[in-house]
Amino acid sequence: MAFGRRSPGSSRHPPALTIVTALLFAFLSSAAAAASSSTDAMHNNNWAVLVCTSRFWFNYRHMANTLSLYRTVKRLGIPDERIILMLADDMACNPRNSYPAQVFNNENHQLNLYGDNVEVDYRGYEVTVENFLRVLTGRHESAVPRSKRLLSDEGSHILLYMTGHGGDEFLKFQDSEELQSHDLADAVKQMKEKHRFKELLIMVDTCQAATLFSQLQSPGVLAIGSSMKGENSYSHHLDSDIGVSVVDRFTYYTLAFFEKLNMYSNASLNSLFTSYNPSMLMSTAYYRMDLYERPLNEVPVTNFFGSVMKTLHTDSAYTGFLAAHDYETPLSVGDNLDDHFMLKDRATPRRSNIEKEAQLTPHGWTEVLLEQLEGKNTDTVVMYGLGAMGILLALSTWLSM
Amino acid sequence: MAEIAGDEAPTPPPPPPISGEVSRDPYTSTPASTGSNKPPLRTTKPGVKRLILTASVLLSFLVGLPFLLKSTEIHRSPLPSDAITALAHRLHSTPPSFPCGLHAVFLRSVPDRSDASLTRRLEQSISAQLHLLPATSTAGNVSVSVTVESAGGCSSSSSNVGSGWQCGTVTSADLVIGDEVFDELLHSALGSGRWDGSMVYTVVVVETDDAEGMRVVVGKHRHAWVVGKADEVKAVSVIGKVFAKYFMNGGIEEGEAGIGKGEFMPVGSDGNVVLSFSLLNADPSDWVYDWDFEKIGERMLNPVVEALRPIVEINIESQVLYHTPKSSFSYFDDKLGGNVLSMGDIPFFVNSNEWHLDTSISATGRSKVLQFVVYIPSARECPLYLQLPDGGLSKTNAFISPMWGGVLIWNPPDCSLGSKRTHGTWKKMSSQELTETLEIFIGQLRQLFGLKPSYLSQDMDVPTKFVVSEKGFTEWELDLLYRHHACSNLLSCLTTLESLSSLVCSLPRMIVMDEIGRQVELSLEAANLAQGNATLGISDSSAGNICNKSQGIG
Repeated sequence: MAFGRRSPGSSRHPPALTIVTALLFAFLSSAAAAASSSTDAMHNNNWAVLVCTSRFWFNYRHMANTLSLYRTVKRLGIPDERIILMLADDMACNPRNSYPAQVFNNENHQLNLYGDNVEVDYRGYEVTVENFLRVLTGRHESAVPRSKRLLSDEGSHILLYMTGHGGDEFLKFQDSEELQSHDLADAVKQMKEKHRFKELLIMVDTCQAATLFSQLQSPGVLAIGSSMKGENSYSHHLDSDIGVSVVDRFTYYTLAFFEKLNMYSNASLNSLFTSYNPSMLMSTAYYRMDLYERPLNEVPVTNFFGSVMKTLHTDSAYTGFLAAHDYETPLSVGDNLDDHFMLKDRATPRRSNIEKEAQLTPHGWTEVLLEQLEGKNTDTVVMYGLGAMGILLALSTWLSM
Repeated sequence: MAEIAGDEAPTPPPPPPISGEVSRDPYTSTPASTGSNKPPLRTTKPGVKRLILTASVLLSFLVGLPFLLKSTEIHRSPLPSDAITALAHRLHSTPPSFPCGLHAVFLRSVPDRSDASLTRRLEQSISAQLHLLPATSTAGNVSVSVTVESAGGCSSSSSNVGSGWQCGTVTSADLVIGDEVFDELLHSALGSGRWDGSMVYTVVVVETDDAEGMRVVVGKHRHAWVVGKADEVKAVSVIGKVFAKYFMNGGIEEGEAGIGKGEFMPVGSDGNVVLSFSLLNADPSDWVYDWDFEKIGERMLNPVVEALRPIVEINIESQVLYHTPKSSFSYFDDKLGGNVLSMGDIPFFVNSNEWHLDTSISATGRSKVLQFVVYIPSARECPLYLQLPDGGLSKTNAFISPMWGGVLIWNPPDCSLGSKRTHGTWKKMSSQELTETLEIFIGQLRQLFGLKPSYLSQDMDVPTKFVVSEKGFTEWELDLLYRHHACSNLLSCLTTLESLSSLVCSLPRMIVMDEIGRQVELSLEAANLAQGNATLGISDSSAGNICNKSQGIG
C-alpha cells in the first residue's frame, strides 16, 4: 500500500527570496480576500493537459502512456475541445514501427491507442518548455487557434499529466531542454492569480517525479508522482514484437484502475491514490495534498478524469416574445422560401423537387398509382408498368403500319 | 646608488638653478654620460601637476558615472503603484455600488387634501420598509421620493429625486387601454427614468375601487404600477417588495442560483460572446431537418443583440450537424407515451465525442462561446421527453448548463406516426416551430445571464404580471446585468493591476516596456473613471469593458 505523507516542506530558497515571496503572498492574499468570487465559483467543466516530452523510438512507452490516458479521459467524457494533447514524437508513423499507424500499450496488442478520433494539438517539435508554459498561463500570440489554447475559467478542474524522463527537480523536454520545478510552480501561481482553475491535479510519471512538484505553493493543487527523490520509475513490460517497452508501471496501474470505471461511477480519489502498490510499482507513488482543502475520500475521480455538467432545467420559454416582436412577412411553409434555397449552396435540385412534389395534390388515378408505388413491391409494379408500356408501343406501331 | 655598481653610474642632475625658470636639460649638463637611454629617476616629490592630472581624471569619471549607470540601466517604465494602491484602498473600503432612486407616485381617486406631511410620512415609511428587506451588493444608497396626486392637488416630497413626473398627465381612467399601452403611456410621461445619470425606478399606485384586490404589473421600462384598493400600509409594503425583489434583485431569492454568482456572466475577457446555434440530426437515415435560421432567427435576435450591446458584444452563428446521437440512455414509458430522460441523465446528455459543436471561425482566443443546441431524436427514441423530479414532464424539454449553453429536445411532428414513410427525407422546420424554439432560446439566454427565463411561475402574495419586451430583456433587467457586470469587472481589473504591480516590484531586474506602462496607466484611468461613475450612479459609460486592456497585459 502506498502511503501518502505530507510534503517534506523543506524550503530550498535562500532567506532573502523567502522574505520576498512572503511579502508577495501577503499582497496576494489581501487581493484574494477582496476578489472572493474565486472561492465561490462552481465547478462547471473539466480540462485535461496531457504532455509527452520524449522523442525517439526507444521512448515509445511515454507516447503510449499519454495516449492511454487520452483514451481513458475521452471515454469518461471529456471532449476533444477540452483536451490539450502534446506529443513530442510520432510513434505511429515511425519507420521502425512494424505495426504502422498503430500504437499499443500492451503486448497482447488488443487495444490500438491510435485508432480513431485522436486529435493531437501540439506535435513534434512544437512540444517545448515555452509552449507548455504558454498553454498553462494562457499567454499566446493572437493568431494561435482556439484548439491550442487552454480556455479554462475559474470553475474548471484541470488534469495535468506529464510523462517522460525526469530527475531531481526537472523534467526533460525533447532531449534538449528542461522544465524546472520552480518554473512549474511559477506557472501554477500565475494560473491561480488569473483564476484559470478551481482545482488542479498534477500526475507525473518520470524518475524522481515527486521532486517536480516540490515547489508548489498555490492552494487548490493536488499532485501525485510515480516515484520519490532518489527512486527511478520503471517500465512495465517489454513487447518483443515491437522491440521496446510499451508502458510504464505507474500508468499501467492507473489504467487498470480506470478500466473498471465508467462515466457514471463515483470512485474516490483516495481509492485511486491508495491503489498503488510500491512492490508492484518498484517505486513509491508519492502524493501531496497539503495544498488541497477537500478530503480525498469525498472527491470522485470523475471530478478530474470525467466530464461534468451542472444543469438547470428551463422552466418556461420567454412567452410573449413572439407577439412583442412584430414582423411583417407572413408565415409560409416552404413555397417562397424555395427561391432562397436555390440561391444558397446547400439546396439540391432533388430536394426542391421533392418539396414541390409533396405539394401536388394527388387526384384520382395518380393517387392509386402512388399508393401502389409506395406499397409492397415497387419493383414488380414498375415491371408491370414497363411491360404495359412496351405492349402499347408495339400495338400502336402495328396499327400504324 | 650602491646597487647599481658596475654600471656607469649616471651622474645626478645638477640642482635646478635658483631662478628656476629654465630647467637645464640633465642630458646636456652631463657630458660625462655616454648615451644612456634611461630617463633619470626623479628626486623631487611629485608636485601639483600630477595631483591635478589625477584629480581631473577622477573627477571626470565621477561626473560621467551617472551617465554610465543610466545607459546600462534596465529599462523599466514607471508604473503608478501608488495610484493603484490608493484605488485598491478606495475600493476595499467602499465596494463599488450604484446608488439608485425610487420614486413612488400615488394617484388617489378620493379628493383628499394632499399635503407635505402625508408625502413625508409615506417617504419615511417606504425608507423604513426598504431597510427591512435584504440589500443587494451592487446597489448602493436608495433615495426615496414620493408624489401624491389627487383631485385636490399634487404634492411631492422634498427630496429632489424627481423623475420628471408631471401631475395630471396620467389618470386612473387610462388603465382601460390595456397593460402594454399603459406601459408606453407611463414611459412617455416619465421620461427615460434617469436623473443626473443615476437610475430612478418609479412605482405608480393607482387607487381604484376594484373589489378584486390588488394587482401589480411590472413594465418593461423602469416603472411598475399597482392597481387596486389600497390602504397605506399595504401599498408601502408592495412598493418595497417590488423594488427590492425585482428592480434590485431580478426576482432571484437569497440562495437561489442566479445573478450575483460568478458563473452567470458568460462574457469573454475581450468582451465578446459568440452564440452558436446548432441543429442536430441524431440519425439522418430516419429524417433530416433543416431550418431557416438566417432569415428568421437572426431577425428575431437582432433586438436582443442591440439591447445587450453595452454589456457584451454578441456574434451569432448557426450550423446543422448530422449523425449526432446522445450519450445518455432513455427508456420507454407506457404511461407517458414516449421515451423519457430523467434529470439525473441530463448531465451526460451532451455527447462531446460525436457532437462537434465548437467549429466557430469567428471566435477569437479570448471570447466566450455559448452553444444552443436543438436535438432532433431518431425514430427509435422519438418522442423524447424530459421528466422532472416530481414525475411530471417538462413543458419546454430544455435545460441549460451555466457558462456552456443550452439544449432543447425537439420532437419532429411525424414522430408519433411511427411509419417508415419518412425514410431519409429532407424536411425543414416550419417558421412557427422555429419561432417557438427561439422563444425557448431567449428564455435560456436569460437563464445563462442569471435571470429567470420568465416570471410565469412566480409566487408573490399579490398577483403580478410582467410585460414582455421584444428585446428579450426589460430595461430594468439590463440595468441589473450592467451593474453586476461593471462591479465584477472593476474588481477583477483591480486584482490584475495589483498583482501586476506587486510582481514588478518584487523583481527589480525585470524589464518593463513602455507599452506596458501606457496600458497600465490607461487601465488605471478607466478604473478610476468607472469607480467615480459608479459612486454617482452613472451607468451609461463604457466602463464595462475596461478590463480588456488589463487582461491583455496580464
